[in-house]
Amino acid sequence: MCVWYPDWALRRPDVPPDEPAQAIGADNRVVAVSAAATAAGVAVGMRRREAEAICPALVTVNVDPGAAAAVFEPVAVAVETLVPRIEVVAPGLLFAPVGGAVRYYGDEETLVARVIEALDDAAGSGYRLGLATGPFAAHRAAEQATTETPVRRITDDAAFLRSLDVTAVGSEELAATFRWLGITTLGELAALPREAMLSRFGVDGLTAHRLATGEDRPSLPRQVPPDLAVEERFTSPLENLEQSAFVGRALAHRLFTHPALRSAVPHRVVVEAEAADGTVRTRTWRNTDPFDEATLAERVRWQLRAWLDEGRANGGPGIRGGVVRLRLAPADLSDRGRQLALHEDARTAAETHRTLVQTQAIVGQDRVVQAVPQGGRDPGERVAWHRWGDDPPVIARDPAAPWAGAIPPPSPTLAPPEPPRLEVEWDDGMPVRIRLGSRWESVLSWAGPWRKLGRWWDGIPPADRYQIVTSAGAFLCEVCDGLTYLTGVYD
Amino acid sequence: MVPMAETVQDAALRPGLPSVDLLALQPGRVVGLEGPLGCGLTRLGLAMMAEAAGRGSIAYVDVRGWLSPPAVWELGIAPERLVVVRCDDPVTWGRVVGGLLDGMQAVFAEVPPPVKETHLRKLAATSRARRIPLVLRPVRGELPGGVANLRLATRQVVWEGTGEGFGRLTRRRLVVEASGKVMQGMVRIIEVEDHGTHVVRVVSGLGVAPSGRATG
Repeated sequence: MCVWYPDWALRRPDVPPDEPAQAIGADNRVVAVSAAATAAGVAVGMRRREAEAICPALVTVNVDPGAAAAVFEPVAVAVETLVPRIEVVAPGLLFAPVGGAVRYYGDEETLVARVIEALDDAAGSGYRLGLATGPFAAHRAAEQATTETPVRRITDDAAFLRSLDVTAVGSEELAATFRWLGITTLGELAALPREAMLSRFGVDGLTAHRLATGEDRPSLPRQVPPDLAVEERFTSPLENLEQSAFVGRALAHRLFTHPALRSAVPHRVVVEAEAADGTVRTRTWRNTDPFDEATLAERVRWQLRAWLDEGRANGGPGIRGGVVRLRLAPADLSDRGRQLALHEDARTAAETHRTLVQTQAIVGQDRVVQAVPQGGRDPGERVAWHRWGDDPPVIARDPAAPWAGAIPPPSPTLAPPEPPRLEVEWDDGMPVRIRLGSRWESVLSWAGPWRKLGRWWDGIPPADRYQIVTSAGAFLCEVCDGLTYLTGVYD
Repeated sequence: MVPMAETVQDAALRPGLPSVDLLALQPGRVVGLEGPLGCGLTRLGLAMMAEAAGRGSIAYVDVRGWLSPPAVWELGIAPERLVVVRCDDPVTWGRVVGGLLDGMQAVFAEVPPPVKETHLRKLAATSRARRIPLVLRPVRGELPGGVANLRLATRQVVWEGTGEGFGRLTRRRLVVEASGKVMQGMVRIIEVEDHGTHVVRVVSGLGVAPSGRATG
């Protein structure tokens, strides 16, 4: 779900509510307009002078994202009360994963009604809601909602996106190039070969193609290495925004220089602050592009200001007694658009991307894969595979947790996904020889068994694992229900 | 994690024999690993790729579909640096490997039977032209002569740490025969020890001249 307030930048005391007004961004272009300004012909994206020429009575204000974020906090809290794990992108725009909430409230209609009620209480009208599978489609859907029909639902992201203009990819320059090439809709863009998009336009073209085909990153949390977080505690609570923001900048620097981050970057970061009274406030911030240190520090400042203002001016919970602990942790990590390591360059990264897209075109997308570690007892269980280019899957099993009965390292280099039968001669529970191909090899030494209890309630019987050494090499095998299977080769 | 190999410069031990860092993948070097399944060559080849993985992404062309990434990670190769390409079709295999040599830092390719000799020679030439190291591990049999600059063939593998139902695999000693253009026509027997560090030790300085007569 996307919750969007098109005019949020104008929700400030120095903007008269019923008069034409515009908010100007750093590039001197209009980023938000009031209804009266829209009626006069002013539109988002116009240059300031152009807008003022159309409507001389226009009230012009410069965007103040920090103040806007502080005012947006009650809206975020209101939605978060109904749907946990929201992600704020900017003041006036947030995403919320509603799958679980829909099941909790019974159906989508009920959830949407509850959200609308909460938004009305928190900030009045003016919101737009978009519901779709991915955030990109949800945001585009919210843009199509109106005052009269503030909720727009999309059931098929790909079909919806096909009809959108290419300007939806977000880059004016790229959209202009697409138009010049005769590509006017996302559907036409999606129909082009991805390999050609990457070759011609690089990573930006690849990103545009993925968005056009609905391959968006869903707003679901990801597990990241548990030690990939930075934190600072204060013996004297920080009650001043400048002090807190200073620490936030320092923490952002520490996060981006953390060795566990390697060359990956987050698109979502959790900002956590603990108050002197023990209350812990958290907020996830999301960025369309990968976060960099400066952008993250800015978001931390906005969030701290929102919390501090909430307590002082609005009588909300705020951060009572001041900040005693501040923590930043990535909620996801991505290689795409990553900061390049010192010894890497953009050309190398682009070449690798191009090569792998071409390889996908030859063998199929499902056969170019990567793996991430996850917890488990056997080599096969300790791996979560995903297609190259996709986000890594949600890790269900913590790799750092102890797994009783796990095979100790070194791990076998090869592990058949469907273990074949292995002929083993046993003598009173001890392996004597094994058949490798057409030959029998004597067992020189062996270790085990490492017992796996199984899950009898799921029909999975217990099994014993052995490491067996022959003159031809070492093998890992599993004995289950009297049969022996080859589960690893130490090649 | 297993640190990279530490090699003993053999010139100091055997004057007259070529001094070469055998476990270092040089740009454009083609390494052939020949031996039966279970002899330890895949791990040796991946260990040789670890340094390249520090510079960027490496590819593993998996013919059987058996590669187990935990073993790769234990060698110090980061998960995000390893891309596995599953390709068991001998017809497209050549195109896949050739394409990967265009953009990866190093490529390890299992070789499915029966890939034509001309294709292998073409890939070797591509590797040298692109200066990207290529490690070839035939699923069965051997590589045609002259394809690999450095050919490593297993002579013996000894695992330690296990007993009669106790212990666990800890250390491995692999005796390989090194030959090829890199060895300047000589055949050398080297021992690789793998227990958390790689140490290449020249066994008794034995080298075999092209005529087959031992010279040491």
